[in-house]
Amino acid sequence: MFLLPKGNPLYENIPAAKIKLPEMLEKLKSGNFTGYLNFTFPSSAAILFFESGKLISALLERGTTRQTGFEAMAGLCNNIMAGGGSLNVYRLSKDLTMGLHALLHGEMLYRGQEVKLIDIKGLLEKVKAKRLNGCLRIYTEDRSALIFYKDGAPLGFFHDGTQDIDTSASESQKIAGLPGAKIDVLSTQSADELMDYDLLEMVNIDKLWGSTETRYAAEMNQMKRDGQEREVKERDSRLKELEEDLKEVASAYLGKMGRTLVEKELGGVGGRESLQKEESVITFLAGVEKSAKLLTSLSKLKEMVDTMKSEISSRAKA
Amino acid sequence: MDDIGNLIGIIQVVFWLLAGGMSFYFSIGNARVWTSISVGFFLIFLSQFYLLAPWADYTRLEAVHYIIGTVAIMVMTHGFQEYYVFSRTLDIGGSKAAVYLGTLGVICVSSVFIFINPEPTYSVLRNIKMIENASWVFLAVINIDLIRKIYAQIRDSVISKGFVAFGIVFFFIFLWKGSELYLQVFCWDNDWHIFATNNGIADTVELYSDRIAFSVLVNQIGGMLSALSVGGTFIYLYRLLR
Repeated sequence: MFLLPKGNPLYENIPAAKIKLPEMLEKLKSGNFTGYLNFTFPSSAAILFFESGKLISALLERGTTRQTGFEAMAGLCNNIMAGGGSLNVYRLSKDLTMGLHALLHGEMLYRGQEVKLIDIKGLLEKVKAKRLNGCLRIYTEDRSALIFYKDGAPLGFFHDGTQDIDTSASESQKIAGLPGAKIDVLSTQSADELMDYDLLEMVNIDKLWGSTETRYAAEMNQMKRDGQEREVKERDSRLKELEEDLKEVASAYLGKMGRTLVEKELGGVGGRESLQKEESVITFLAGVEKSAKLLTSLSKLKEMVDTMKSEISSRAKA
Repeated sequence: MDDIGNLIGIIQVVFWLLAGGMSFYFSIGNARVWTSISVGFFLIFLSQFYLLAPWADYTRLEAVHYIIGTVAIMVMTHGFQEYYVFSRTLDIGGSKAAVYLGTLGVICVSSVFIFINPEPTYSVLRNIKMIENASWVFLAVINIDLIRKIYAQIRDSVISKGFVAFGIVFFFIFLWKGSELYLQVFCWDNDWHIFATNNGIADTVELYSDRIAFSVLVNQIGGMLSALSVGGTFIYLYRLLR
């Protein structure tokens, strides 16, 4: 979802479900990590930016919805618990981290300005003059390029299809020259100012993680219980149907007494649930056979018992 | 007339032999409920058998035959009652051996009873025969009612038509035994006639000769039809349950 420079990959494609977020964040904090964590889930993605071990921002994007700060962290915990995602960790320089932070969280100075309608040189002069920290995004419908700035000076270029920062401006110039090319200008605070803000200090990650874990465990238990109840209901309904069919078979061979006979013999072995136990089925069929001898011929009796046996064996344990 | 009566009696015994053999064979391979019913029908043959025996004039043995006849209808009724209970509750209990041994036990005890008492006179034999006939008539009606109730319960099963056949059997038995009981009750039977003649007692046989002749005819035809229908019923049942 987020196409960002990879810098120096520390971890790639770690299953998100295996991660203990508080422990991981604590490690990154104590290691003075600078860079970002990129979580990818089936229907959402999250980016956490670190500057010298401080969590300076968190962003969670789900479709067109974006959440930041505490909400993003809470959502991230939920997504990790739900499973199915993966994590990539990239180390970057402080300045580039700041540039990426600008891209995702920065203030939009210009939005969707057509390149051919603005004085690009003038704009770059302005960026330099204002000692802008941030990023320029030049894009068309199918291509884009990023130029990161620190104190008004370009740090590097990032293009579609590449993974790292480029020092050449040629690709960015090409895109800017394409018909319909547009430009966004985003600014942010300096890296030092960004470090005044640490989400790890503001959000009790342990508590957030713990409560999410508890809630998920409860939900999982509830789901398990619901599943078991559903299974019991399905099994009961299947056995009820089987009992009805056995009565139909008995009724076809023995007349109306056949239904009563099946009912009585099933009652004798403990109800329709016992059709799942081999010994009970043997007792049940023996009881039916004993009484049915007084109502029908031996050939029909054998046919009836065989039909019942095959119905029970194919459906009672299915 | 007596010769024809004896001949018919002997033909009846032959028919009962066939019916008894068929019912006994049927009882071997089937459920206990059928054991009581078929053993009962088999006992009818034993109760009639004395007519063929060379020791028919041995009165104690004749008395035992009559008692066997009474036991026959009781065992049969027991069987139908068990089937009726089964048709209402689907409960089956007991063993076949108990039926065989129980029946044998009752016959033995009855025989001992006969042998420890004075030798039965013709009059006593007639009384025992009357008791047998009264039991048959009463229990035949009871059995027809039981069969009606059983049929209502199992009417859509394979065996139901077999019970219709049993209903017909008991109707013939009712005619057979009922006609004989009728003659006995009004002292128009042959045994009484001999007793009355020997003791100089006047009877009314001459006065009611038509209805007596009709009753004797009903008795003989009823007896034969009973034996034939019992044999036929068991063959039919055998085919139904095969």
